[in-house]
Amino acid sequence: MSLARRLGKSLSKLLLDPRQHAALGSLAFRDAGHGFDVLGFDPEAFGVALGVTRFAYERYFRVTSHGAECLPRSGAAILAANHSGLLPIDGAMIVVDVARQTSPPRVARVIGDVFIPMMPWVGTTFSRIGVVAGSAGNFRHLLESGELVLVFPEGAPGIGKGFRKRYQLQSWRVGHAELALRYRVPVIPVAVIGAEEAWPEIGRLDSFHAFGAPFLPIPATPLPLPVRLHVHYGEPLVLHERFRDADDPGMVRDAAGVVKHAVEALIAQGLSQRQGLW
Amino acid sequence: MVTGATTPIGRRLVERLLADPGTTLVLAVGAEPDPLPLAVRDPERYRYRQVDLTRPRELHDLLFSDGRQLRIETVVHNALHRRAHDEGPRIHALNVECTRDLLSLAERHPTVGRFVFRSASAVYRLDPRGSTLLSEDDPLELSPSAPQKVRDRVEADLTVCTRMGMSPLQIVVLRCAEILAADVGSQLWDYLGSKVCLRPTGFDPMLNLLSLEDAARALQLAVRGPERGVFNVPGRDVLPLSRAIELWGRVEIPLPGPLLAPLYRLRARAIGSDFRYDLNFRRFHFSAVLDGRRAQRELGYEPLHRIVWPYSQSSGSHS
Repeated sequence: MSLARRLGKSLSKLLLDPRQHAALGSLAFRDAGHGFDVLGFDPEAFGVALGVTRFAYERYFRVTSHGAECLPRSGAAILAANHSGLLPIDGAMIVVDVARQTSPPRVARVIGDVFIPMMPWVGTTFSRIGVVAGSAGNFRHLLESGELVLVFPEGAPGIGKGFRKRYQLQSWRVGHAELALRYRVPVIPVAVIGAEEAWPEIGRLDSFHAFGAPFLPIPATPLPLPVRLHVHYGEPLVLHERFRDADDPGMVRDAAGVVKHAVEALIAQGLSQRQGLW
Repeated sequence: MVTGATTPIGRRLVERLLADPGTTLVLAVGAEPDPLPLAVRDPERYRYRQVDLTRPRELHDLLFSDGRQLRIETVVHNALHRRAHDEGPRIHALNVECTRDLLSLAERHPTVGRFVFRSASAVYRLDPRGSTLLSEDDPLELSPSAPQKVRDRVEADLTVCTRMGMSPLQIVVLRCAEILAADVGSQLWDYLGSKVCLRPTGFDPMLNLLSLEDAARALQLAVRGPERGVFNVPGRDVLPLSRAIELWGRVEIPLPGPLLAPLYRLRARAIGSDFRYDLNFRRFHFSAVLDGRRAQRELGYEPLHRIVWPYSQSSGSHS
């Protein structure tokens, strides 16, 4: 075992509480033979990531989970969430929350933007903790493998929507709905409350495209604000029972609209239940 | 008939075919003298012909004298130039023209009914925007700036693929993952031959490596038929580049990407090694693993044999 892997193992043991660390042993994971899955996911790295984000989850953002019983214990499903923030704090907290709320722990495989693999260190690190580049092929593979897939149908415009447009869903992509129909998997709407205020932007550089990034957001604060985060999971939407043809563009659009309305309803519910930002 | 029979894959395939009682006869074809040891030779079922495949006349006579007389039914085309630094028309003649000629001759041959071509995963374009898991329908590397080794492989692959459905032959193209073995033209083999392996800092892509035994087995399954089409042949080993370096017992040094091409050019000039960083630039940055489900479903191929890594996984000691 390499030094890095040994260090990683010790680090996750050190940072996680013993119960969480023990649960990692039963993590659902398809080993391709050398301790990684075919897309590069490494359970050891995931353990380290859980340990490293523990402080952020428990103390800094004080994440509260609502409706976790809607998360399937096994089988493929799509989690569709609202998106925001300079860095994917919402994605990270959902991944941690899913791993904590499921037993045996499940990994929410985040569909990231296609520019992520081009970024040195970031691309490799993300792939080790389960993020995959947002290509249709990768998405299909995850669903066929029975994985839990986390998507942000707002995409990059969700990150750059700015403080004034918080909790207003931006252009809603439909790819997740098409795949949900094709693979007959449920979609679980997810709303993250708090993340849209955690790191407000004062502007963005639209001319910045290093490594294929769509723009460079300019934050108002050097660090995210310690806003209390709430993750709400909705009832699974069995779209394929209502919409039968994954090749019908109108039907796919309608199915994606159902998901969007469900996320909007969860956001409204979450905002009304929230008692203060902090 | 097996071309490239003097290569390690060709030898292994011929041995496997001879071990199969269902094989009536193997006509092995190579550029060098007969590679099989005497013990394996079976005069009733084994013939060897030394032929320069870049000469159309020799190729024609091979198929229409020996080939016709021996009533060969299947052609396995496995002869591709292996060294990445060799370029030029003669290399192109072996990689592409010979493939085209052989296919055309096989189509009008009275007894040949099946054509199996060993292609490579190098034909795929590695695009970070694309899928990590490459299926047979993924885009091919058609960039004019690609090195000749890649361009030739893509051209040969497409030459064979374009005849599918129009040819009287049953055509099979096997796109094999990189075979990590000596003398098979493996770039990674040459790369790992160095005690210190340089890799681009910040990138650690997933690789898919095929053992010699699995490559020969896939070819044997393709010979049996009757399935036709393009099939990916993945290997059993799927691992990050850094792990491959570690399992090979080498020291890795991550360096900024732009330094690697000149350093490896220098290495090639100094010691005559074959590894070309420009040839491997994309796969040293972006993950690519072959999706072998079609081969599994239709040919019954599943990778069974792992690479024999010099350093064992558990102890880190030399095995």
